[in-house]
Amino acid sequence: MKELLRKREFTLFVIIAFVLVLIVIRVPAFIEMENVLRIVNDTSILIMVSLGQLAIIVTGGIDLSVGSIIAFSGMAASMLNQYHPDLSVFVVLLVGIGVGTGLGIFNALVIAFGKVPPIIATLGTLSVFRGFTFVLSKGQWVTAHEMTEKYMNLPHGHFLGLTNLIWFGIVVSLLMYGFMRYTRTGREVYAIGGNKTAALFVGVSEKKIQFVVYTLMGVLAGLAGVMWTSRFAAAVNETAIGFELQTVAACVLGGVSIAGGSGTVVGVILGALFLGILTNALPVVKLSPFYQMGLQGVVVLGAMVVNSVSAKREEKKLLERRLD
Amino acid sequence: MSEPILRLEKISKYFPGIKALDDVHLVLHPGEVHALVGENGAGKSTLVKIITGVYQPTNGKIYYKGEDLHFANALEAQKHGIAAIHQEASMFPELTVTENIFMGHHIKNKRRIDWKEMRKHTAALLKKMDLDINPVTLVKNLSTAERHMVEIAKALSIDADLVIMDEPTSALSLREIDDLYKIIRQLKEAGKAVLFISHKFDEIFEICDKYTVFRDGKYIGEGPVEESALDKIITMMVGRSLDQMFPKAEVKITDPILEVKNFSRTGYFKDINFTLRKGEILGFFGLVGAGRTEIMRALFGIDKSASGKVVFDGNLVTIHNPKAAMKLGIAYIPEDRHEQGAIQDMSITHNITLPVIDELSPFGVTQKAAEQETVQKYGTLMEIKAAGWDVAVNTLSGGNQQKVVIAKWLATHPKVLIMDEPTKGIDVATKAAVHQFVSSMAEKGLAVILVSSELPEIEGMSDRIMVMHEGRITAEYERNQVDSETIIRAATGNLKEQGA
Amino acid sequence: MKKITAIILVLSVVLTGMVFANGQKDASGEAKKYKTVLLVKSLGNGFFEAVRDGGLEAAKELGDVESIYMGPSASTAEGQIEIIESLIAQHVDAIAISANDRDALIPVTKKAMKAGIKVMSFDSGINVGGRLVDLVPSVEELIGRQQVQLIAELTGNKGKIGIVSSTSQATNQNAWIKWMYEEIKKPEYKDMEIVEVAYGDDAADKSYREAVGLMQKYPDLAGIISPTTIGVLASAKAIEDEGKQGKVQLTGLGLPSEMQHYIEDGTCRQMALWNPIDLGYTSTYIMEALITGKISGKEGDKVDAGRMGMITIGKDGLAVMGTPFVFNKDNIAKFAAMF
Repeated sequence: MKELLRKREFTLFVIIAFVLVLIVIRVPAFIEMENVLRIVNDTSILIMVSLGQLAIIVTGGIDLSVGSIIAFSGMAASMLNQYHPDLSVFVVLLVGIGVGTGLGIFNALVIAFGKVPPIIATLGTLSVFRGFTFVLSKGQWVTAHEMTEKYMNLPHGHFLGLTNLIWFGIVVSLLMYGFMRYTRTGREVYAIGGNKTAALFVGVSEKKIQFVVYTLMGVLAGLAGVMWTSRFAAAVNETAIGFELQTVAACVLGGVSIAGGSGTVVGVILGALFLGILTNALPVVKLSPFYQMGLQGVVVLGAMVVNSVSAKREEKKLLERRLD
Repeated sequence: MSEPILRLEKISKYFPGIKALDDVHLVLHPGEVHALVGENGAGKSTLVKIITGVYQPTNGKIYYKGEDLHFANALEAQKHGIAAIHQEASMFPELTVTENIFMGHHIKNKRRIDWKEMRKHTAALLKKMDLDINPVTLVKNLSTAERHMVEIAKALSIDADLVIMDEPTSALSLREIDDLYKIIRQLKEAGKAVLFISHKFDEIFEICDKYTVFRDGKYIGEGPVEESALDKIITMMVGRSLDQMFPKAEVKITDPILEVKNFSRTGYFKDINFTLRKGEILGFFGLVGAGRTEIMRALFGIDKSASGKVVFDGNLVTIHNPKAAMKLGIAYIPEDRHEQGAIQDMSITHNITLPVIDELSPFGVTQKAAEQETVQKYGTLMEIKAAGWDVAVNTLSGGNQQKVVIAKWLATHPKVLIMDEPTKGIDVATKAAVHQFVSSMAEKGLAVILVSSELPEIEGMSDRIMVMHEGRITAEYERNQVDSETIIRAATGNLKEQGA
Repeated sequence: MKKITAIILVLSVVLTGMVFANGQKDASGEAKKYKTVLLVKSLGNGFFEAVRDGGLEAAKELGDVESIYMGPSASTAEGQIEIIESLIAQHVDAIAISANDRDALIPVTKKAMKAGIKVMSFDSGINVGGRLVDLVPSVEELIGRQQVQLIAELTGNKGKIGIVSSTSQATNQNAWIKWMYEEIKKPEYKDMEIVEVAYGDDAADKSYREAVGLMQKYPDLAGIISPTTIGVLASAKAIEDEGKQGKVQLTGLGLPSEMQHYIEDGTCRQMALWNPIDLGYTSTYIMEALITGKISGKEGDKVDAGRMGMITIGKDGLAVMGTPFVFNKDNIAKFAAMF
């Protein structure tokens, strides 16, 4: 499977390169370093949250409430910054992450102990958390003049030529890579998703794993909420509406099986970057905006088809070898 | 003899990179029950699919009722009077028994489906088969065995001239198997032909008239089923004889390791008492649903609501979860390899180290070297054939997957090994290998609980036999102290004389 | 501190698992007050919060009216239809709607009118037949032309101009943009051209990306017009992040409290907006007049709208409130405190 996944990742890499060439033919400046960094910066949030979604989908679940968690924790952090401008941004960041974690734990409790199927549970909390965002903000936005410079600089600041946001993305990616690949719990995440009964027989606790992955998602979505609001210097109630679908799309593009059990961090990062390139290229490519949305769908769908067809072919080869 | 109903000549079927069937032939007469015998991978299922039109042969001719025919699909074969009962029930769980039985050939009354008529037919059919099932029951509410019987009823409903049964008894209890025999005999008397595919020799000798043996996609031989044929058939199939099937070694049985006292779980089993000793193979025999698996699950901490005492290695223990059981040194190889055994998408390494991942991961971080060492040791011990330890389990053959599951449990250093139907649905050669393994484990001082529904296996391998019926232990026998008939009587609750 | 308490309170409610029902309970207190509803495009938008304040102000003055504020959580016609259905069931007296779609709401508003509810639209209108009166904050023509005038003042009547709109089917943005193209035909703008209309879908991230895209695609871009509140906010942030302040001028329709930062730092030196408080205020006066039968919505009807003076209903039930107001460095602080 590893071999096979490596191949899937390679396929996606080739698709990305192909799409990139098409874009660069139309807009040569697209490939300039400055623009590449801009895209990576823009995609960092998607990468972080998609990696949380990866862990969940590998267990066979899904989290549809991430957009709302981002909105709520972003709003909470921004309001804290607004009303306590002298508080260190580090504290604000931790509070934002903490709030996200709390919402993640709520999801985890409902799913692991309430025995509610993840898709139903998070569909519910999608509205609940969004509703609370309105309650918290009383419908008001927090915008640039109400935020401190330091808060707005949180994602924008530079270190070694990269923005802090990119660094956050890199750190999260490395940690998630280590977690999924080199920890006992990460192994158990794959085990539960791959064959729940078999995993239970060797003493893997489904509750524990579900608790871990939904809480982890809360942590990442909380971080993403802080980053989102500080980056756009606006905490609005509609923040990240529909973002959950982008994270799922990044996972599926990256070769994560929606049935659970397989998927890699590298694949998801590539999937997210693919979406990032696409959303950043569409405004630049001279094309009627009326075609853009359709084109985006066509390209994503096409990539998925190519990706899964090549995976099928790979699988067939394996099966033939097994029969020999 | 009469004109053959089915004659296959020089049939070959190639798949990319593999010859599934190579120049085989088979002749079937009306009023004949014909056993098609062979190991897994011998090409039996492929042949069934060719006869029923699911596959088209690469070469060769099919003569059906004297005509040279090729069926384009299963429906066409059905129309010509060929019915097939497949190994795995292919039913629609949300539909009723009647709807399932008449799926594809509804009875119509002026273009409208005549449900009343179909229900009547179904009721008659079920009655003929001695089945106490309401025609309007949803299939999902039936037991596995009942589903199989409905599947058989479905095949009979089309009034076929040729009935193919692909391992029809694997999910049936003894009583239902008896019913099935009755049905087969009725078919035979009515002049129908039956192609009977089975791994179980007792069934073949019970019901079949003739046999044909395939091996590795090739025709090996055929002949009448008679007492002297058994060794011949086995030799044809695998090139080894019967006494090699159950290589039970004499082992010195020592101290008790596991004592179970008054073990009960409401609705599943009651007052279970037994003692297991080091080096001993303790057989648990009974019909499907007798409560054997449930006892093992409770012992292993999967089902939690059992009462009673469990003494392990001299200490009174409570086993709350599988982890606790593993810690004590109990390993449980479950019944369903596919569902409960291996994790298909995971590599061999990750599968084998999963039960011991705690020990192999200091501070929760996995150690590649330690994992490799474990896999090297147990993978080699089990002689797993694979391109490497890092390939996914789903690239392995069924037998090798089974070995991965066993290796996984050996890695936990068990003192007690519980094996639930370890040879169900696997071929003769692998079966012999599993038996060999069980015997060698006992030789090393392991205590083994062998749960099986196959009486020859229980008789051939166990030092002691516990017989269960409806949640209770009805009899206990020493090796070679009892005949098969007595065991079956104990298992069906018909024990007249005093048991042990 | 109050906000912190609010955060903790809300969190603890989340953790104890209570479910928030999205909707508002009407305080059914004193009897015999007409229930007038201000149904806005979506909740959580500062502009509409100000509309609500205007409605409350008018209700206080009128005395016989209770003003209820409602809206879906996302700007969809479906969300509004659901709310109108429930309002019909609740037998409110009048609804003033800022519509997410000109036509999609007509069947349900017709149903409401049949049930005796007075229906009008404001800000973003419903087509004739789906309401009695449509209160236009300003005339589309004036708004569109004014946007071009504002950007021309900032760029010195020359250069490439890009537009960051909301969604591609937004009723009023499209009408305004049409008038922008009309205005720019005038000879004094011969050195100016509108190069592209991009759609940010009223989402911060997409609007931001579209604004960045415009600046990349046209390195010599002189100005951006964003006639939508989220769009102008995101465009301002994009210009700031790209370091194009002073090079790319920005104007649009923005809410003073949200844009204060960028107006004061010069990213967006001037922008326009009608006064949403006045919109809610005037709408509530018109609803009261409709309920009490002072007017029926026909051409020539006159409504005494308190401090807004006399409003005359024109052809097709159209009523015009006034001309957009320009905000700049000098007056922004004052208005930012209001809405």
